[in-house]
Amino acid sequence: MLRRITPYLFVLPLLGFIAVFTYIPIVQSMNLSLREWDFLSPTKPYVGLDNYRLLLDSREFWNALRVTAIFAIISVPLRLLLALFIANQLLRETLVSRLMRGALFLPSVTSTVAIGVVFSWVFSTDYGMMNALLSSFGLPKVAWLQEPHVALWVLIFVNTWKQLGYDIIIYIAGLQAIAPELYDAAAVDGGRKVHVFRRITVPLVMPTTYFLLMISVIEAFQVFTIVDVMTKGGPAGATDMLVNMLYRVGFNLFDIGVGSALAVLLFAFLITLAVVKSRVIGRKVHYEA
Amino acid sequence: MKPENPFLAVLALAAGLLFLSPVLYSIWMSFQTADAYYTGNIEFTFRNYEMAIGQYNFARYLVNSVIVSGLVTLIGLAVATCAAFAFARYTFAGSNLLFGAVVATLMIPSHITLIPNYLTLAKAGLLDTYAGLVLPAVSNGFAAFFLRQYIRGIPRALDEAAYMDGASPLKVLWRVIIPLSKPAILSMGLYIFISEWNNYIWPLVAIGREDLYTLQIGLARLYRVNPGEDIIDWPLVMAASTITILPVLVGFILVERHLIRGMMMGAVK
Repeated sequence: MLRRITPYLFVLPLLGFIAVFTYIPIVQSMNLSLREWDFLSPTKPYVGLDNYRLLLDSREFWNALRVTAIFAIISVPLRLLLALFIANQLLRETLVSRLMRGALFLPSVTSTVAIGVVFSWVFSTDYGMMNALLSSFGLPKVAWLQEPHVALWVLIFVNTWKQLGYDIIIYIAGLQAIAPELYDAAAVDGGRKVHVFRRITVPLVMPTTYFLLMISVIEAFQVFTIVDVMTKGGPAGATDMLVNMLYRVGFNLFDIGVGSALAVLLFAFLITLAVVKSRVIGRKVHYEA
Repeated sequence: MKPENPFLAVLALAAGLLFLSPVLYSIWMSFQTADAYYTGNIEFTFRNYEMAIGQYNFARYLVNSVIVSGLVTLIGLAVATCAAFAFARYTFAGSNLLFGAVVATLMIPSHITLIPNYLTLAKAGLLDTYAGLVLPAVSNGFAAFFLRQYIRGIPRALDEAAYMDGASPLKVLWRVIIPLSKPAILSMGLYIFISEWNNYIWPLVAIGREDLYTLQIGLARLYRVNPGEDIIDWPLVMAASTITILPVLVGFILVERHLIRGMMMGAVK
């Protein structure tokens, strides 16, 4: 008898935590998204799909969706391309390439708040590093974080700077798994470097690319901290992302219904994306390292 | 190691330094007086650190961060290792389904749990407590998955031998599996500790009391004390930022190879 319940006892604590803090909250969010509530009032009247309607009729939501989509569509491919290119240069086990890997990886384990603060200084109008650099070339100062057309690009830049090293490390692992004979064969056939990269490296590292694509899209759509620290979604909503809106609606305006509706929409979108991608990966990628 | 082309080596190191220059310069700036900074002079001082620790309570935030990240790491590892052991060594009714439920959490975006977890902890009276920071962060599907893969690579004959000697499953886990899984457990411990150390949105939601701030919250608040561009005391803010970065930075330099190897193993498996 004891033997049969042993494995359940071992998995119980983990599953308990997951149930209470991950799975039940999903159901709770769905339930709350159909109600009107402000954290305080004793009743939570059922309002059907009103919260969703409210959300889809608001300019705030479409703006945040647009900004987040731009952020993801620009920053994800940018990161992956740069990372693959750099990883390909850092494959050799030399001291320099090890130091470079370490330097590039460091930002991805560094506090996002601290990075946000440091780059707020780098891009600050009057005393920042960027404007000092521009001035030394005789160029005019730019109000990086106050200019609606510029601020989003600064965030994309900082996010890329922070995450690039992680992508590089994962790519190095993927690239090192490619059989060296394939490169040797290409060399014998007299393949040029660009050719080898396009015909051998890129297709064979595809499983890694899909993996990175999936996690970085999910991550990009949930970006919050860097925005909260550097711009708070400003100027004039130009960098307002979905999760920043979620935080504001839920915890500043205490509109639990609309906040939950937003959470559910984003959740549904990301899960769909994940499922579609795993289907695509299952179909297209056969090569195993 | 192969010999390097010295020109390329120097170029690469220069590129690495340029890449990290914002962070390196922020550390340098944290040792400058504000006056010297704004006038472009160099004047070395510890004033910024004294202010951050004395006037702005960063010693307390540091302690809070250590306690919270430490507890999340210890409890998280214990919970994940037990589950990983069961999933690696037992076939039981529902084991595939339950393991699937654990792995699926890797795909579940965490924002969906924000409002409900706030409500749960409010109901339990755990907002503004260490427990409120720790409990929602304890379950880690990635660690459980990773450790299970690792434990499956340990020969079963070793377990069998211990069972023959009359050991209980708990004893096998403690005496056989855990000692042999040390590299994987260490990697996961680092990964959990760093993620929790840098966690921002949950403490932001769950903590209102100043004396329970973690470093991340303290730093974000300090930076926003005077949001007006010209009034920010940048050297002071950089001292606070350095306090926030430094423990992870030092740890990173000490164990960089383990950490990177752990990340790579996780990605390939």
